[in-house]
Amino acid sequence: MKGTLLLIAMMLVLPVTMIGCATTGELEKVQADQKMLDAKVEQAVQDAQAAKAAADAAKAKADDATARADNAIKAAEEKERIADEKAKKADAAFQKSMRK
Amino acid sequence: MCRFADLSLSAGCFRLIALWLCILSLQGCAALQSVPGKSALAPGHLAAGIERNDFSVAKGDDVIGRLAVVRLEKGDTLPDIARHFGLGITALSAANPGVDVWVPEAGKPVILPLSFILPDAPRRGIVVNVATMRLFQYKGDGKSLAVSTYPVGVGTKERPTPTGPTRVYRKAARPTWHVPASIAEDHRKKGDPLPAEVPPGPENPLGEYALYLSKPGYLIHGTNKPASIGLKATNGCMRLYPENIEVLFNDTPVNTPVAIVNQPYLIGQRNGVLYLEVHTPLEDSGAPELEKMYEKLRAIEKKAGRPLDWKKIREVQTEARGIPVPIFKLRQGSEQEVANPLEVEHPDKLSGRPEIPDLKLDAWYVLAADVRNEIDARRIAAIINHQGPPIPARVLAKNDDYRVLAGPFADIGEARDAVKRLKIDLEIDGILIDPVRK
Repeated sequence: MKGTLLLIAMMLVLPVTMIGCATTGELEKVQADQKMLDAKVEQAVQDAQAAKAAADAAKAKADDATARADNAIKAAEEKERIADEKAKKADAAFQKSMRK
Repeated sequence: MCRFADLSLSAGCFRLIALWLCILSLQGCAALQSVPGKSALAPGHLAAGIERNDFSVAKGDDVIGRLAVVRLEKGDTLPDIARHFGLGITALSAANPGVDVWVPEAGKPVILPLSFILPDAPRRGIVVNVATMRLFQYKGDGKSLAVSTYPVGVGTKERPTPTGPTRVYRKAARPTWHVPASIAEDHRKKGDPLPAEVPPGPENPLGEYALYLSKPGYLIHGTNKPASIGLKATNGCMRLYPENIEVLFNDTPVNTPVAIVNQPYLIGQRNGVLYLEVHTPLEDSGAPELEKMYEKLRAIEKKAGRPLDWKKIREVQTEARGIPVPIFKLRQGSEQEVANPLEVEHPDKLSGRPEIPDLKLDAWYVLAADVRNEIDARRIAAIINHQGPPIPARVLAKNDDYRVLAGPFADIGEARDAVKRLKIDLEIDGILIDPVRK
């Protein structure tokens, strides 16, 4: 009976020990994989951040160009309006000067 | 077989005729819709001149003259072009929207609106349409009718030209201007008091000739401010270019009937084509006159039994370019009679253009403006040049600045007088410049 119990105990302990050994190896591998993955993720995040920064910079540049174009259009319109106003003012003064 | 051949031959003929008719009708459409401004002549084939004032009136017709086109040259102003071609400045500007009056672009073609619909008034004596700022003088022996037409300056909004029938009751060459109390008061307020009477001469606003009307205080006269022709600038009188009043004066006997009308919307026909000419109406007269125009057009549509192109009518009304525009064929085939604008040569010298004497070192000058923009400087100089009596002015470039220099003046008195006129008339503070060499 004792012998049977010992056998059963040994049969239980051995596989558990063996399982434990297998888990440690796997864990190391997983850990190594994870490390690599982490590095990759880090790289990807960095790449994404760099891409976003580049996109943001490009957008800012485009926004700046648009704003500058808008300003240029506004300035041209303003210049035209001032020229028109000047011409109208000059014309009004002329018409007044044509009275007796 | 023979029958088949005959049939195909006649069908072919029929198709040919149909095609020919189709092409003809398309050409008609093009003529009727011709845009004023496109010349009938190719470049290099320009007409030497065009009739400006004297026209015969065909029986049953209401439209006289022809549109023309001229290409501007450097230094031209619209008032100079207007005077040379017998037009008023408002009429020329309205026909050429967007063209700078004083500094127009050289090489640009401008339309000369030398076609007119006669006002809806009896065709005798003198008829003045204040809305179009044009005078018509009818001459005829009963068999044929001729008309001479001239642009006029009319009354301001505050002192409009009165409409209605009147007549010439007196004529005077080299008239004296008896200054009305209201005008004397206006001048006194401006700091420019006038004498009770202004004798004949360059200071006299009546110019060299005057026709006194039976309506007291109103005259048809010349001017010492030719650039004012085609403007609402008078105290109710009608003024003409000096060269036009001379002809009218010599051609008009005392007692000639004069009808003064206000017709901004003119409808008339020539060679079976109905035309519409729209001018910007004078203040407060637009709505009733517009209603009259629509009433007339509806009556024409009813009589013709065909619909008018109301979209086109509204376009002509909105644009108000003062040009007779063909809007309806009263009879078939008549559309081919619509003439394209004639392209005329730019004259070597524009008649009446202000002369600018050469610079003299022993003369007085007035610095009228010192500006950064060349266009502004040229505009100021042109406006000063077109004062009446004229004040010569030119633009001198100095580094990045442009100076407008009025003169030369023979003495300090003349120069001071110019400073005063620039201040009173144009609100310009001129600076006296004494001679370099005395």
